Amino acid sequence: MPAGRPGPAAQSARRPPPPLPLLLLCVLGAPRAGSGADTAVISPQDPTLLIGSSLQATCSVHGDPPGATAEGLYWTLNGRRLPRELSRVLNASTLALALANLNGSRQQSGDNLVCHARDGSILAGSCLYVGLPPEKPFNISCWSKNMKDLTCRWTPGAQGETFLHTNYSLKYKLRWYGQDNTCEEYHTVGPHSCHIPKDLALFTPYEIWVEATNRLGSARSDVLTLDILDVVTTDPPPDVHVSRVGGLEDQLSVRWVSPPALKDFLFQAKYQIRYRVEDSVDWKVVDDVSNQTSCRLAGLKPGTVYFVQVRCNPFGIYGSKKAGIWSEWSHPTAASTPRSERPGPGGGACEPRGGEPSSGPVRRELKQFLGWLKKHAYCSNLSFRLYDQWRAWMQKSHKTRNQHRTSGSCPRADAARREVLPDKL
Amino acid sequence: MLACLCTVLWHLPAVPALNRTGDPGPGPSIQKTYDLTRYLEHQLRSLAGTYLNYLGPPFNEPDFNPPRLGAETLPRATVNLDVWQNLSDKLRLTQNYEAYSHLLCYLRGLNRQAATAELRRSLAHFCTSLQGLLGSIAGVMAALGYPLPQPLPGTEPTWSPDPAHSDFLQKMDDFWLLKELQTWLWRSAKDFNRLKKKMQPPAAAVTLRLEAHGF
Repeated sequence: MPAGRPGPAAQSARRPPPPLPLLLLCVLGAPRAGSGADTAVISPQDPTLLIGSSLQATCSVHGDPPGATAEGLYWTLNGRRLPRELSRVLNASTLALALANLNGSRQQSGDNLVCHARDGSILAGSCLYVGLPPEKPFNISCWSKNMKDLTCRWTPGAQGETFLHTNYSLKYKLRWYGQDNTCEEYHTVGPHSCHIPKDLALFTPYEIWVEATNRLGSARSDVLTLDILDVVTTDPPPDVHVSRVGGLEDQLSVRWVSPPALKDFLFQAKYQIRYRVEDSVDWKVVDDVSNQTSCRLAGLKPGTVYFVQVRCNPFGIYGSKKAGIWSEWSHPTAASTPRSERPGPGGGACEPRGGEPSSGPVRRELKQFLGWLKKHAYCSNLSFRLYDQWRAWMQKSHKTRNQHRTSGSCPRADAARREVLPDKL
Repeated sequence: MLACLCTVLWHLPAVPALNRTGDPGPGPSIQKTYDLTRYLEHQLRSLAGTYLNYLGPPFNEPDFNPPRLGAETLPRATVNLDVWQNLSDKLRLTQNYEAYSHLLCYLRGLNRQAATAELRRSLAHFCTSLQGLLGSIAGVMAALGYPLPQPLPGTEPTWSPDPAHSDFLQKMDDFWLLKELQTWLWRSAKDFNRLKKKMQPPAAAVTLRLEAHGF
């Protein structure tokens, strides 16, 4: 227990509650003698050191309490007593310490080096800051939400482990004029990020860089030059609806609205749709959905729940030649394909019938069809309508094929199919 | 000394509040204040744990007891049992109000540049909650017709890190601030329980409950 101070109970025992003004004084704390702050002093006080360097420290005891000497004093570092051989008594009132090859600080608030009296009480302390100067931050990437703001992310050099608190400052300026500005809102999307909420200029590139500073030095990243218009992203498309396509059991229709925030600006939006079966983690992506707000998914499993998401890219905004940045995916919307009405392979006919709900043959035929289309048609927009027509035709010819099959003449059916196809289309 | 008084405080009776028909009076706001102290105590436990880990050993060791050097101006919660029991309602409330005003001020001044953003957020959140407690105490005082204590001119607690204080001394200051906050929240729970008891009809059942607190 620390020596030399009267406990509070001794002071206030058996006294009536003091009147208010005096109480305030008590609360604020009348100055007390012998605070103990002059008991001992460690030198150096709160030093900053490079990893691997050495430290010579001393603990000098003052007169209070009287008779205190360096005998019996000992050191602890982060609560652990240091080996006796590292310290030595310099004179009657000073204990020295020699530490070599220091490791990085255990915590960013500094290692706690403490000088203790013989009874274990704390006489003095010093915080050691052992670490490395920061390395160059790199990999700065920025994006602007609807051209209104700018958010940037970067990677700290050396995986950020300097053992010291490192302060990162994102700076930016207009390329050919203007003064340096500093970003103020940090940690918006992770520990190394910053958000510039307003006063951004279009049509002139910005120069952006990150400065890292700690007690041992500073480092600056390379300058990133960018045009706000080249890094625009937007909100995910709102109002995504997924619905069945009549009774078609392997299709779903997806409809959405173009993100409203950018509707006043000329741009060709690009969209991407992704979908997956309810209990799967594999998404299928439909790319290349340009400037339209609906799409049909085909080749799906009947009687299955699908989750669908859409995202948007504000491609070529204000004549920018570059693609923008993809928005977040919209909230998943779910819909189910109608159940198959045809009996499964187990019921009804004995022989395996081609082109039935089991996905294999259907997908094969779809592939064949699309392959044919690619060769003969360029507008993917038309594919699904044509596909419906083709399917209807397929179902008809399938019936005839079966009739033929039961009578055992498959080749003729195939030939018939090949003949009919070009004519129909 | 601190440990001894805490043991004494442990054995105080804790009475569940009874609902009174008719005008609720200050009862509900006393109950609310009591609840707030328990909530803050819980919040502080996790904040203090994180903060002391940030300060590093030995600060986060369970039996750590450094000298109270710079912590002289902290409002002390520990008090003689007789004195505490004989406090008038007004004094009891005033002491609580002033203590938390000071503590809130010190907490806000806890300008730990090196603390992580997450720690700074937790501290800010706790300050907001503490502000809520202050408001609640003020509400009770108003309901009972007591004036809010005004700070005497020149004694406004504008705490800033003592420039003479080394980093290690500041760590000790922080440690004692958190400790004193903890002690005050324990004491306030007892204070408001006592007030609750006083505001209730005398036929209330008294149940002795021992609450164990560990530091």
